[in-house]
Order: sequence, then C-alpha cells, then structure tokens
Amino acid sequence: MEQQQDPVIARHRDLERIANMALRAGRIMMESGASVSVVHAGVGMIARGFGVEDVGMRSGYASLEITLHAGGNTITRMIQVGRLGVNHRLDQAIRQLAVRVAQGGMTVDEVEAEIGRLARDTPRHPAWVVAVAVGIACASFGRLLGVDWPAFAAVLVAGTVGQYVRHQLLHQGVNVFIVAGLIAFLAATLGGIGSILIKSNTVSLAMMASILLLVPGVPSTNAQTDIMDGYPTMGSARAVWVLMIMVFASVGVWFAEALLGLRTL
Amino acid sequence: MLELLPHLLHQALFGALAAAGFGVLFNFGFRALPWCAAAGALALAVRTVGQDLAWSLEGASFAAAIVTSCSVSALRRQLGPACNAVALSGCIPMVPGAFFGQALLGFLSVTAPNLVDAETTLIVAVQSLLRVIFTLGAIGAGLLIPAHLLRNQDF
Repeated sequence: MEQQQDPVIARHRDLERIANMALRAGRIMMESGASVSVVHAGVGMIARGFGVEDVGMRSGYASLEITLHAGGNTITRMIQVGRLGVNHRLDQAIRQLAVRVAQGGMTVDEVEAEIGRLARDTPRHPAWVVAVAVGIACASFGRLLGVDWPAFAAVLVAGTVGQYVRHQLLHQGVNVFIVAGLIAFLAATLGGIGSILIKSNTVSLAMMASILLLVPGVPSTNAQTDIMDGYPTMGSARAVWVLMIMVFASVGVWFAEALLGLRTL
Repeated sequence: MLELLPHLLHQALFGALAAAGFGVLFNFGFRALPWCAAAGALALAVRTVGQDLAWSLEGASFAAAIVTSCSVSALRRQLGPACNAVALSGCIPMVPGAFFGQALLGFLSVTAPNLVDAETTLIVAVQSLLRVIFTLGAIGAGLLIPAHLLRNQDF
C-alpha cells in the first residue's frame, strides 16, 4: 500500500498504462494491414497526446516494443502481434482515434474503452458476402489472364468455395500456411473439374485463377513500403512470408494437377 | 485504335470487379468500394493501353500504378487518409500471382525425375519469377512515389 503512494512508482504506473494502451492500438493497426511507419506514427501520436516527451519503437514481425520518456521517467514495454491480415475499416478507425487522442482532452480510460469498442464493433462483411465477392474477383482475374467463359463460371464457384472454407479454417486456428496449401488444392481441383465438365479450353489457367484469392497482394506491397521507409528487417520478414504462402499454394496446385492427370507427381 | 476499345473495356471491367471483390475481402465499407472499382478499372485500362503500345508488363504496370496513385491523390479531399489504401486496392488486380504460381510450379518440375527439356523449363520458371519481382517492384514504386511526393496524409 505504501508502495502505491510513492510518486515515482505512481508516475511509472501512469506511463505503463499509456505504453500498454498505445501498443494495443499499434497491434490492431499492424494486424489490420498498416505499414510499420504508419504504426509507429499512430502509436507516437497516441503517446504524445498524453504528454509523453520521447517515444521510441521497434517493430518485429510478431511483436512491438515501445520506450516512453516523460517527466524524468522512462519505461519500456512489449506486446505480441497476432496474424497479420487486412481490415481497412478497423485500421482507419484506429487512425482516426489516434488523431483525436493527439488533439488532447481524452483520458487513458476513455481511449482504452474506445479501442476495445472499435475492435469489437467495427463492422465486417458477412462471410458469405466475402466468399461470393472473392469468387467474382478470382473469376475476373481469370478473364484478365485469358480464361474462356465456361471456365469463368467454374473459377467463380471454386473461388467462392475456397474463400468460405479458408475463412472457417482460419477461424478454427489452423496454421495459415497449411490453410494456403489446402485451399489451393481444393480451389484448383474444383476449378479444374468444373472447367473439364463444362468443356473449357483453358483448364490449367482456370486452376491457376481459382487460387488467386491466396496471393498476398497487400503484404507484398507492404514489404516494399517497409523497406523503402527504412524498416528492411520487417520488409524482409513480410517478403519471406509471401514466398512461403506461394510455395504452399503452388504445392496445392501441383497435387490438384496430379489428381486431374495434368501432371505426374 | 477503335478496334482495341472492346478489349480495353473488357480489361477495365474485370479490373474493376477484381479490385472491388478484393475490397470486400479487405473490409472496405460500401461507400469506398466504388472507388476501389474505379481505381481497378483505371489501373487495368492504363496497363492495357501500355501493353497495346508494346510496353513490357513491368513498364505498363509501373505507368498504371503511377496514374492510379496520382488520380487517387487528386481525390484525397473526398477520400481522406484512405486514398492510399484505395490506390493499393485498385492495383491488386495487377499483382502477378499467376506468374508467381507458374514460376514455383516450374521450379518444382525441374526436380522431377525423367524431366525432358530441363533447360527450357528452368528458363521459363526463372523468367516468370523475374517478371514477378520486377512487376511487384514496379507496382510498389508506382504507388509509393506519388504518395510520397504529393505528401498524402496517413492520418
């Protein structure tokens, strides 16, 4: 009890709450597809909104670290970061919150509550809507690659089913690389069988188009952004992740082609 | 040039659909999705014109990304800090995922037993991989350069 009244410890506790809250916002931004420089800027805005004088950050692929200095006190804290995905609305909402915090006038409790509310209540499209949209996107990709109209329908169905199953598997916590391999096999097989049944002349292209939902476009551009912004370690980690996803996806397509007799194992 | 119009419209339409579809996956709101579609249509239209002018895929993709990024930056009063994300979403249909797959499948083929014409298989795989690297670089640079020069706000 006496320790709680020590002014130095009390100031450390305040700084710790600011650090943890800023890290939580940074983690959400990172998991929602923001680049490292944006995460650092957002976390810095939140911390400085509470009077922090100096903010130092380090970003790894699976963790964020922050050092805050204010009023002669310094504190360093770290937070783990989960699977990196893309959630535009949540990312933008946290950025807007960072702007509001930087303008001052909010308490730590209010910001913590707001971060929790945004994480909980920011709307997401229903899984079936996402699945159909991704199916349309894959089929459109197919047309851009040159698949014929019969294969368009097959790719649409394969992409839709593939995305829906991917969503379910990821929500059950299955490893993202294993999911990539399984979904590539499933979608390519469905796209290939459908194209053969509808008598398409572009079966191989249709199989490839069916797995384009797995191509990590945002992480690959984020990798480049991070390197250009001066974070080559994070950029390299993202690039390796992209490569691994594509290796697993290619193995899935390889097995699907073998199953349909288009390739020998 | 007029005979190219149907092909141009075809590419723009499916570029728009692909960008909007991935916009849904990335959880863009319904108000932002038409902007994603427009960015995708613009990107694919520019890339198609470039390729019709006999530019390489990499050069055409770079030009398309620059034009898309500049156009979206001009709309930043309407789009706000989301403008960079809209430009990225528009360029997603240009990401050469199929070439990436072909490259890796080609490398897997090289290790197969009793391979016939290994040199051709290897060269095609290397060509596909280089095309992926250069095209991704072109898209990334095309998106980033205008955003940095025009000082697009992230917040």
